Amino acid sequence: MPIQLTSQAYCKMLLHTAKYPHCAVNGLLIAEKSKEKKKDGHGVPVLCVDCVPLFHGTLALAPMLEVALTLIDTWCKENNYIIAGYYQANERKKDSKPNQVAEKVAARITENFSEAAIVMVDNSRLTVSCSEPIVVIYDHHENKWRNREVTMGSFEDWSEAQKITSALLVGRSYENLIDFDNHLDDLRNDWTNPVINKSVLDLC
Amino acid sequence: MASVSELYDVGWEEMRDKLRKWREDNSRNSEQIVDVGEELISDHASKLGDDVWIIYEQVMIAALDCSRDDLALTCLQELRKQFPDSHRVKRLTGMRLEALERYDEANKHYDAILEDDPTNTAARKRKISILKAQGKNGEAIRELNEYLEHIALWHSHDLAIPAFCLEELMMTNPHNHLYCEQYAEVKYTQGGLENLELSRKYFSQALRLNNRNMRALFGLYMSASHIAASPKVSAKVKKDNIKYAAWAANQINRAYKLAGRGTKENKCSMKAVEEMLDSMQITMS
Repeated sequence: MPIQLTSQAYCKMLLHTAKYPHCAVNGLLIAEKSKEKKKDGHGVPVLCVDCVPLFHGTLALAPMLEVALTLIDTWCKENNYIIAGYYQANERKKDSKPNQVAEKVAARITENFSEAAIVMVDNSRLTVSCSEPIVVIYDHHENKWRNREVTMGSFEDWSEAQKITSALLVGRSYENLIDFDNHLDDLRNDWTNPVINKSVLDLC
Repeated sequence: MASVSELYDVGWEEMRDKLRKWREDNSRNSEQIVDVGEELISDHASKLGDDVWIIYEQVMIAALDCSRDDLALTCLQELRKQFPDSHRVKRLTGMRLEALERYDEANKHYDAILEDDPTNTAARKRKISILKAQGKNGEAIRELNEYLEHIALWHSHDLAIPAFCLEELMMTNPHNHLYCEQYAEVKYTQGGLENLELSRKYFSQALRLNNRNMRALFGLYMSASHIAASPKVSAKVKKDNIKYAAWAANQINRAYKLAGRGTKENKCSMKAVEEMLDSMQITMS
């Protein structure tokens, strides 16, 4: 089942990437838990309504990742969400392949959500105008992560996503984006990013 | 567009002091440095005295980060005029070439510095950065073996290298809680009961050095919980670790309560933490 991104999910991913241009960044993609179990679920996209930015810099260390996954999983349960995917932007501009870290985290997520996807950000195409989608989506098929073509259908509303992301990048909203690392530095920093969420809503 | 001094109602002295603070903190907030520094240089250069040169250097590097080659070149040219034979300025010339991805030319500059002064660590570091930027991690690691003291390499899948680097750093900086805590994280990631116990000890040590380090607190909780849950430990070890974990859980809850005072939004974090701690208790018993 392919995933679909809302404007909020897409834009926060890019803001995280833009906030730390010299670091690798990663985060989790969040979807709403669907109550009905569709037997013939092929082709019905999973809508990722939000994302939670996790770390910047060193992505490969286990303890804080475990804490984040457990905490965010608990938060998801309270809000009828589920962790549906993982995003990562690598440190180097021309490198947009999922690495061991990405595969390990995605494997963890797959334990709870079999259709989990990896979304890699293509740093080399990051621009303020956001003229085209710059994500590469990977699905797990036959024990390998294969990339799938990203189309307008990968977004709930591409032109809205484009407009909002561009506006927030220009306005440097990424300076106020909170990731889990920021939260560990100061617990008052809220990784659900209510301020940015509100900005996104205002621009819809 | 409004100037920085108009927008924030600051005078040139405050701008100069802000730049100094960012130098001291080693902050990489390049966009801000460019905004403040560019204005300071263009409007107040004559008032800065000898500080102007270090400000040119700081702004130049920030400009490279922001793809402002025009500004970087201006700063570089001023520095070249003032310090024509300086290795330090030569290194900056090299950095500009790196930003333009002209790596071979950059390396020529660094090699020239090293021929003249083989102990020049700044030039050596730049050469390693170039290898990293080109994705030549194998070569970068070999170069690093000659210069191991202050750099941790996280790109190799073998965590033994960062572990070794951190051991060196901890020896020379015993009061630094961050190195202690990072070392604990590496040990935890390497896995296995022995490493877990080591990690728990280093998380505790980090807390002794700084009792507000949240990563150390969470780390202590996680490592102690995993040790307690392991079937390979004795009853006494299990009991001790349950105690450590319970103490850590208590401290974590207190820290969240303290942080949540006065803000409605943080209640969700706090509740999530309480639930997480509760759920882990179950797996331990």
